Amino acid sequence: MIECSHVYKRYKNGTNALYDLNFSVDQGEFVYIIGPTGSGKSTLIKLLDAEETPTKGDVRVVGLDVGNLKNRQVPIYRRNIGVVFQDYRLLPTKTVFENVAYALEVINMNKKQIRKRVNEVLEVVSLNEKGNSFPHELSGGQQQRVAIARAIANRPKVLIADEPTGNLDPSKSDEIMKLLQKINTEYGTTILMVTHDLTIVNRHRKRTVVLQRGHIIADLPEGGYVQHDQ
Amino acid sequence: MISRPISEGFRGVARHWAMSISSIIAVTTTLIIISLFLIFSYHMQLFTKSVESSMQIYAGVDYDYEDDEDRIRAEIEALDEVKTVKYYTKDEEYEFFLSQYDDEQTREVFSPYKEDNPLHDAFYVEAKDGKQIQDLSKKIGNIEGIYMTNYGGQSTVNMVSAMSKIRRFGGFLVIFLGLLAIFLIQNTIKLTIYARQDEIAIMRNVGATNSFIRAPFVMEGIITGTLGALVPIALTIYGYYYVYEKTGGVLISNMFRLVRPNPFVLYLAGILLAIGVLVGLIGSFMSVTRYLRWKR
Repeated sequence: MIECSHVYKRYKNGTNALYDLNFSVDQGEFVYIIGPTGSGKSTLIKLLDAEETPTKGDVRVVGLDVGNLKNRQVPIYRRNIGVVFQDYRLLPTKTVFENVAYALEVINMNKKQIRKRVNEVLEVVSLNEKGNSFPHELSGGQQQRVAIARAIANRPKVLIADEPTGNLDPSKSDEIMKLLQKINTEYGTTILMVTHDLTIVNRHRKRTVVLQRGHIIADLPEGGYVQHDQ
Repeated sequence: MISRPISEGFRGVARHWAMSISSIIAVTTTLIIISLFLIFSYHMQLFTKSVESSMQIYAGVDYDYEDDEDRIRAEIEALDEVKTVKYYTKDEEYEFFLSQYDDEQTREVFSPYKEDNPLHDAFYVEAKDGKQIQDLSKKIGNIEGIYMTNYGGQSTVNMVSAMSKIRRFGGFLVIFLGLLAIFLIQNTIKLTIYARQDEIAIMRNVGATNSFIRAPFVMEGIITGTLGALVPIALTIYGYYYVYEKTGGVLISNMFRLVRPNPFVLYLAGILLAIGVLVGLIGSFMSVTRYLRWKR
């Protein structure tokens, strides 16, 4: 599903973000990427989301060479993956329903099917009563659930989550984690989740890839990362 | 799928009403100014043209050549600069001369001259361009049988050149103002879209293609431009009719007349609407495209 081989990323300002990154994620896996600030987690997400291109090496997602997409192919590629961000990134002037529907309008689905599918995914994230609310009327946890609903609306094979619990308190974080696990087990969606919340990583044990200064310093199949320093 | 940008466009204008209103006001104010200047400069053009065309050359025919009317007329008409030629016999000239006096007494004084008319048969020549009047007068004077020409002298020439300067200045002013207005409107639209660049980024994140993102924004621009043109159009139509009726179409003197409002006002309305729509369309298209180019 996700394959990185010998990936290097050096930004124009000279910052070296990733060195010789090698790892792959199989279909249906749930993987944490953890590491301190500046370890290259965000860069990795940007490469997977096709927002940045690798300086060297191959990034492959769902069989596509993401690093060599032309600009106009990028939107088409993004329809194959779902992305959830720490800051939710919902359209502020659209309702919850319209936000989720937008991801389906983009692929030219007809109105009737959109209505049906949006209701389905809002049911999955237990927000079917909030369809007509605007994002600012919802709590952070609810907004993140809308974002997740939007991300899975067109049934992507891969879901990338960039610190999805970063702005939430522990109980809400747990809610989001349960939701992600449900999506992972029920739909077989491959999930790659970037986080620095070690509590979550230790409580919901999954394969864990540890990044530090652009290198993978550990890849623990059983998870359960223990911080050594501090 | 054509209806989506349109409905989304209307929704966008409504949901971002504060920003929409500021754009609409920008369009409205600039279009009102443009409308005023269009009316002003159009009338300036008409006025100077009419002043110019009222200037004509008098060319008197020598007594010995009174039978040569056709030949002289042909020679005058052969000149490039000539627009119209009118011919009056000396009897007609006499009648015209008398008609300038109202009281019988004065007319009586001139009556002996009816039989022994000292006036000349005359051609009245209009030039195509007021600037040519001096040259043309000289050329006509050289025609055999013309004993003298008169065009009003240097003051007429000065006036003509002043008129054409005024006209050119008016034209420049309208173009300059037009560009300024377009720049202003475009800038306002750019700002409102700038405020929404996060939205554009989110749309890209979700997998929307550039044209999919752009279409509703462009539609919003068109709607904004149209709404902004409504008030100026209404003001122009009602305002112009009002002034026309109040003044009876005559300003200052008979020389300076207002154009009949019926087709004129409709043309103005069309121009204003076209400017509103085009500026809205182009402004929003360019602004969105700029933000789309930055993002991958």
